[in-house]
Amino acid sequence: MVDLSVKLSNLKLENPTVLASGILDTKRGLLMRVIGEGIGALTTKSFTIKPREGYKTPVIAYVKAGILNAIGLTNPGYKEIPNVIKDLIGKIPVIVSIAGSTPKEFGTIASYAEDSGANAIELNLSCPHVKGYGLEIGEDPDYVIEIVEEVSTVSSIPIFMKVGYHTKLIETVSRALDKGISGVTAINTLKAMAIDIFAKKPILSNKYGGLSGPAIHPVAVKIVYDIYREFKIPIIGVGGILSWDDAIEFILAGASAIGIGTGIAIYGLNIIKNILKGIEKYMEKEGFKNISQMIGYANIG
Amino acid sequence: MLDNLKYHRGIIKRIINHTGKVKSFELEVDGLGNINPGQFIMVWVLGYEEIPISPSKYSNNMVRLTIMNRGETTNRIHRMREGDKLYLRGPYGNGFDLSRGGRYLLVGGGYGSAPIIYAAHILHEKGFKVTYVEGVKSIRDSLFIKEAEDIGIENILVTEDGSSGIKGLVTSYVENIAKEYDYILGCGPEEMLIKLLDICLRNNVECQLSFERMIKCGVGICGSCELNDSGLLICRDGPIFNNKKLLEIGFGGVYHG
Repeated sequence: MVDLSVKLSNLKLENPTVLASGILDTKRGLLMRVIGEGIGALTTKSFTIKPREGYKTPVIAYVKAGILNAIGLTNPGYKEIPNVIKDLIGKIPVIVSIAGSTPKEFGTIASYAEDSGANAIELNLSCPHVKGYGLEIGEDPDYVIEIVEEVSTVSSIPIFMKVGYHTKLIETVSRALDKGISGVTAINTLKAMAIDIFAKKPILSNKYGGLSGPAIHPVAVKIVYDIYREFKIPIIGVGGILSWDDAIEFILAGASAIGIGTGIAIYGLNIIKNILKGIEKYMEKEGFKNISQMIGYANIG
Repeated sequence: MLDNLKYHRGIIKRIINHTGKVKSFELEVDGLGNINPGQFIMVWVLGYEEIPISPSKYSNNMVRLTIMNRGETTNRIHRMREGDKLYLRGPYGNGFDLSRGGRYLLVGGGYGSAPIIYAAHILHEKGFKVTYVEGVKSIRDSLFIKEAEDIGIENILVTEDGSSGIKGLVTSYVENIAKEYDYILGCGPEEMLIKLLDICLRNNVECQLSFERMIKCGVGICGSCELNDSGLLICRDGPIFNNKKLLEIGFGGVYHG
């Protein structure tokens, strides 16, 4: 028997699968169901100070190698965090994703999440399609550092920084580590657009959105590889995991855990058990006894 | 990837004005594939929003959408003419289970009778015994009674004001005849569905009820269409739920509107 449990900063996961932020995670009932499917940890949808209805439909569009979405940070506002997570606490680690438009907002939500029982915080610094949030601030390293500083001052639980693709990433992660983040979630969706050629218009009501799925998988693997090589920190690898081999690839690149999102939309919640079964078989076949032996294996030397 | 996210352009060929507030639009569309009664498609109106609609008929690449004018997007559709275009994706959801032989009681409330009349067509083609019951406020709101008559199935109109057919609430009528059926299929206001569930449980009849919630993505990502606190999604696990599933999630008992 192989051991699938992993340690992610101070979080103990029974297995390396994590529900990625943004999918089926604004409501208590849905999150309970995902726990029932055997997930190792949960990330909530990003909470903002005020409730957000999100964008008008269409919020999703067809692309050949993934999904394009612009849901628009729909959430009931940070005051609802306790109602969403209170029944989940103690069952498995709960990572609360937060999105602010100022460092102070990030701090307020982070401290409230911790008081509500959250096991970790994920800073959404990379949502590609909401003005004043996410990528707009995530691309400014100085601003990111201000946010990290504020949040790490007010909270004592692990802080994960969710990053997208940008050129100064390694420098930003390095400075954020100095200011107290525990790890990185990589990567968020990438800014993209789809036009319906018969309607002759961009499909999303927001015009552009975030690309997820297999299209971004190799991009994410490279980023996880680079971050692990540089810092050997806890990483949640996210991006286009549709089956167990995609998950293994992330772990070999340096991820301690793997986030599943689009895969659930495509294959349903069964995907979690299938991925775990696949990882287990692979480990037996390749002679790994536990996950930590595999983390960063492709990165050695 | 998710091929069912692709749009198919539908061209309006015929418009039927049922009541002024409710119209049916028959569209010619290629590529939607098979649509089971009770499944829904997402209908995108350029410059407006995208809304879920459960067709009231579908055959030979002609889909009929029966739409109540109740918001900006449906209002735009109501102002459309023959030749205008809508962009359709789907179908999504489970649809009614019409595979088993037996006696079917079909109950539609208001424009909820859209997927019900489609189910009536299919069940009649299969040769099963079908009774079509439509509940409306008044005779002028009736939608598909004549169509049920034309299909040649037993049909009963129930009007709240007694202007035609049987006077009263459709559920009061169903209460008296439920025992004679193996399956009850229902679509309409949620109060009606709750009463139908109760009737089915008391009479030991299987029911399949179609629920409505805000649907945005249609494919199980956004979570906006969760049925109360059940963890079930209208778009993927529904929109049709049977008595067994509804009891499992404690539906009747926990409903708070």
